[in-house]
Amino acid sequence: MPTTLPSTCSSPRAARRGRGVIRSLLFAPAGLIRSLLFASAGLALTAPVASSAVPKRIIALTPYSANTMTLLGVKPIAVGQVSSGEGSVYSAALNTVPRLPLSHPSGPNLEQLTTLKADFVFSSQAWARGKKGMERIGLRVAEREPRTVSEVPRQTKRIASILGRSAQGAKLAKAQEAQIKAATKGIKKHPKVLVVLGVGNSPYAFLENSWGGDVVKRAGGTLITAGLKASGGFARISDEAVVARNPDVIIAVPHGAPGDIKKIAAQMRDRPGWRTTNAARTRRIYVSTSNTLLQPISGAGTTIAGVRKILGN
Amino acid sequence: MRSRHSLVLAAGLAVLVLSFLASLAFGAVALPIKEVARALAGGDVSGQVHEIAVGLRLPRTASAAAVGAALAVAGVLLQGALANPLASPDVIGVTGGAGFGATLILLAFPDQAPLVPLGALIFGLVAAGIVLTLGSAGPRGGSIERVVLAGIAIAALFGAATTSLMVAYPDRVSSAIGFLAGGLVSDGWSSLETSGPYLAAGFVGAVLLARPLDRLSLGDDLAASLGTSPRRTRLLAGIAAAALAAAAASIAGLLGFLGLIVPHLVRLAAGTATHRFLIPACAIVGAAVLLLGDTLARTVVAPIELPVGPLMVVLGVPWFLWLLRKTA
Repeated sequence: MPTTLPSTCSSPRAARRGRGVIRSLLFAPAGLIRSLLFASAGLALTAPVASSAVPKRIIALTPYSANTMTLLGVKPIAVGQVSSGEGSVYSAALNTVPRLPLSHPSGPNLEQLTTLKADFVFSSQAWARGKKGMERIGLRVAEREPRTVSEVPRQTKRIASILGRSAQGAKLAKAQEAQIKAATKGIKKHPKVLVVLGVGNSPYAFLENSWGGDVVKRAGGTLITAGLKASGGFARISDEAVVARNPDVIIAVPHGAPGDIKKIAAQMRDRPGWRTTNAARTRRIYVSTSNTLLQPISGAGTTIAGVRKILGN
Repeated sequence: MRSRHSLVLAAGLAVLVLSFLASLAFGAVALPIKEVARALAGGDVSGQVHEIAVGLRLPRTASAAAVGAALAVAGVLLQGALANPLASPDVIGVTGGAGFGATLILLAFPDQAPLVPLGALIFGLVAAGIVLTLGSAGPRGGSIERVVLAGIAIAALFGAATTSLMVAYPDRVSSAIGFLAGGLVSDGWSSLETSGPYLAAGFVGAVLLARPLDRLSLGDDLAASLGTSPRRTRLLAGIAAAALAAAAASIAGLLGFLGLIVPHLVRLAAGTATHRFLIPACAIVGAAVLLLGDTLARTVVAPIELPVGPLMVVLGVPWFLWLLRKTA
């Protein structure tokens, strides 16, 4: 809809109106200003997409948002590239969808994003620094990645709402809730668990406020880092504490290749301090080369069930 | 002056002994001091106490003392040899090289993680070797400026290579953060065993170089007239410093700050620049400072461990500035 600007302010009321327009212009989105300027030059432009419009060309930077979209019947035009364990994180329907390289901490390359002509991006906290840049090139961005298991159905509903598929979203969320309930039902054992990220002599431990920590808790594990808090959900904890808290199970997420699993497990078993733990003595050190403990993939039920198996539940 | 030297040495030794004992006595797990002592003496204690006291704390304490002493002595050697108060192991590229070596293994070959100390040691020595070779080349056997410029270039090169690795493996960066931030780890005696020979060679070299460095501080011409070859002394001091700094980095990551600041602290406290005093005194003070820093890093928010590198900078800089102002 073309818009025209008042060219003069002949009365105090008009002047006030004029100041109001200027104020609106100062705080208006770039797209609106462009439309107004073009319109004032006598060019008719279509109005910019309203922020509530259902997006058509969507990029999903996280496996969770991409898989959820797929389950809701919408295919993203591109998904974020996952460096390790990719085979297990995206649903088969997304095999042919282009991968978008992501770099820490900003996420996707803006030039690449521009060429994809997307209108919406599902991002996550991990790429928070890139959000402004994406918005600057006219994209709508929403961070929709659950940080806890209980957030999964809630975020599913919010993604569905953005896609204009609230009814399907409610149905999917209900199914996810049921899966989580089933996966956490009948837990009898509560072994002490240490989950670590990385390799070398200073790996980071998953805390309760990490995704993996919450999954382990739901699967019946008692994190030996329980009660510790750090932003991001990870912290380097003392080997003395590992000896004293004596985990029954150690799960390592080393970002290695599947072929490295045996070697990495052996290194952890022989590590000073750790070698005396129940986990090392009973050879219950597990190495995961997938990303399922680092970020949600879709519904959390399958991940919880996998961890339950490791914990002997 | 001699009594001031003795006072500084005695105070340094006292702090070293206390910090050594504190490092053994305190940790993330509160153990009765008697139990720790019994475990260290080979007495009958529970397996857990034995593992913590003998398997974790004792090697870590020994490593902290060795690394602190090595970095401080490397700093003295470089500041003396290059006649530059800003010299530290960073200047001859050791830190950059060691950082790259460790990051390469941790990110590109995570299944070879036990080789991190060796990788850091080798690349630290390679970087220093390049810098010293370039610096001592050219007319009249090179110059201090050439060493410094070569050091800056090589440090930038290895720094860029390390950053490139981090960009190439963004999901694995967490494995390298601990090393790059600098800090002791509880890996038993393995790192110390790998680096021990280089530390020993570096310390012996430093002691032997004390007198030539003192002569060098009088100026190249006077040193030469006293029978000391400035070029050879600088090169040997560089090699000894490289061995010490690379060995230290292989054990505790990048803690170059210690090598810069401890020699200045000792000079300010003792009021002397004599290497025959500075080298042993810096070894003592460096060891004490790192022991204290590591004990704090292990206990302040236990059982979470803070990286000792940034912690020491945060605590050390105000102290250093206060001392600087007081002695101005």
